Amino acid sequence: MSKIDEIKQTVETGKSKLIEGLVADALAEGLDPTKILNSMIDAMAVIGEKFQKAEVFVPEMLVAARTMKKGVEVLKPKLAAGASTSLGKCIIGTVHGDLHDIGKNLVALMIESAGFEVIDLGVDVTAETFLNSIKANPDVKVVALSCLLTTTMPSLKEIAAAVKGSPVKSFKLIIGGAPITQDFANQVGADGFTTDAAGAAQLAKKLAS
Amino acid sequence: MIIIGEKINGSIPSMAKAIAEKNEDYIRDLAKKQSEAGATFIDVCASVSEDIELETLKWLINLVQDVTDTPISVDSPSATICAKAIEFCKKPGLVNSVSMEGDKVDQVFPLIANTGWECVALLSDDTGIPKSAEKRLQVFDALMKKADQYKIAPKRLHIDPLVEMLCTSEDGIAKIVETMTKIKAQYPDIHLTGGASNISFNLPARKFVNRAFIILSMSAGLDSAILDPLNTEMIGLIYATEALLGKDDFCIEYINAFRAGLFDKK
Repeated sequence: MSKIDEIKQTVETGKSKLIEGLVADALAEGLDPTKILNSMIDAMAVIGEKFQKAEVFVPEMLVAARTMKKGVEVLKPKLAAGASTSLGKCIIGTVHGDLHDIGKNLVALMIESAGFEVIDLGVDVTAETFLNSIKANPDVKVVALSCLLTTTMPSLKEIAAAVKGSPVKSFKLIIGGAPITQDFANQVGADGFTTDAAGAAQLAKKLAS
Repeated sequence: MIIIGEKINGSIPSMAKAIAEKNEDYIRDLAKKQSEAGATFIDVCASVSEDIELETLKWLINLVQDVTDTPISVDSPSATICAKAIEFCKKPGLVNSVSMEGDKVDQVFPLIANTGWECVALLSDDTGIPKSAEKRLQVFDALMKKADQYKIAPKRLHIDPLVEMLCTSEDGIAKIVETMTKIKAQYPDIHLTGGASNISFNLPARKFVNRAFIILSMSAGLDSAILDPLNTEMIGLIYATEALLGKDDFCIEYINAFRAGLFDKK
């Protein structure tokens, strides 16, 4: 097996203890850092697809993403500035009034693993905070809103309207969370909606390219 | 064990469909079945958009009251809705839920101060779900000050220490066990509750995790749970665990429940 394949498989199987050594070896052998990064991104895409087919479970997705993160840390100094975020920026947060973070964190992790630079604004994020972040990052490609309660759906609707009214027009809006449906996504004028984190990463990739 | 029957909840797809189609018989039937299976409360959660939540709750509560006297657990993420829906109930039940977030407690506690209503209280506040047991206990202390202020006796409270999914937990349920043990030591009369199924999110064969969780938590003081009373395997395990914990003299409750066909029905 080639080093690249070995790195890919190590991320896929979530063997975080091995990844740093493998990436360091690959770099020592003179392999292209961007190629190494892409092999890890590919591994995460495979995990995402497997998750959607119910072949792997969330914890397996988490350890894979953590493994990749560790690998990226070793790569970072070698990657040319900007090359580490091949797909652009994604701003993500849970909407105002809602304090749920587990699902949002998982989506952030998967989107980051797909090759985005993620700006995570946390939970209970107001329209104003989203707008300021968009203003500060006019090259943002994807804005992702999360909400976990039926009671905070109106808040999401409000924030979606505000975000869509931003003078910055470079980005697509995606939403998600337990009570969200395709119908609701259409209502608030979102560019996309998925039911799970792996789907969110695929969707972000599709919308940003 | 206090069993809060979970089946009338709009976040369950089959129930969402029944609510959307106004399928009254389906809802009445589930209320009746849960009551017959020994539910202490029947939880009613609309899980619809806020503008139609109150009318949906009223309709659901009346359907339940058509067929059973089992008290209602009024379930909404909005304290305002909970407070209004209390009025639809013929007898005192359970408010599900308040927390130290915003003014939820101040909306609900005064209404139930001099009544037989019980209340589920989550150990979260404006900062969200505290990460450590210590911080959760601080939220609990603040909650008990409020309960005292409104003269809500501890035995009318069901404290939910907020069980998070096992697959992302770093210490299994150690934090929850510590929180529950300390609360019970301080207030022996208080109830400890939780959702039986939160623990197993994102894991395969969830029923095993759910059952193991209930048994271990009962040993730490859990005496109330939101679960499916029609799940006879779980019900049997609960009766058995109560007997093992010395809460069932001569196993009479276990024997009676078996005889009533609540589990292991031939």
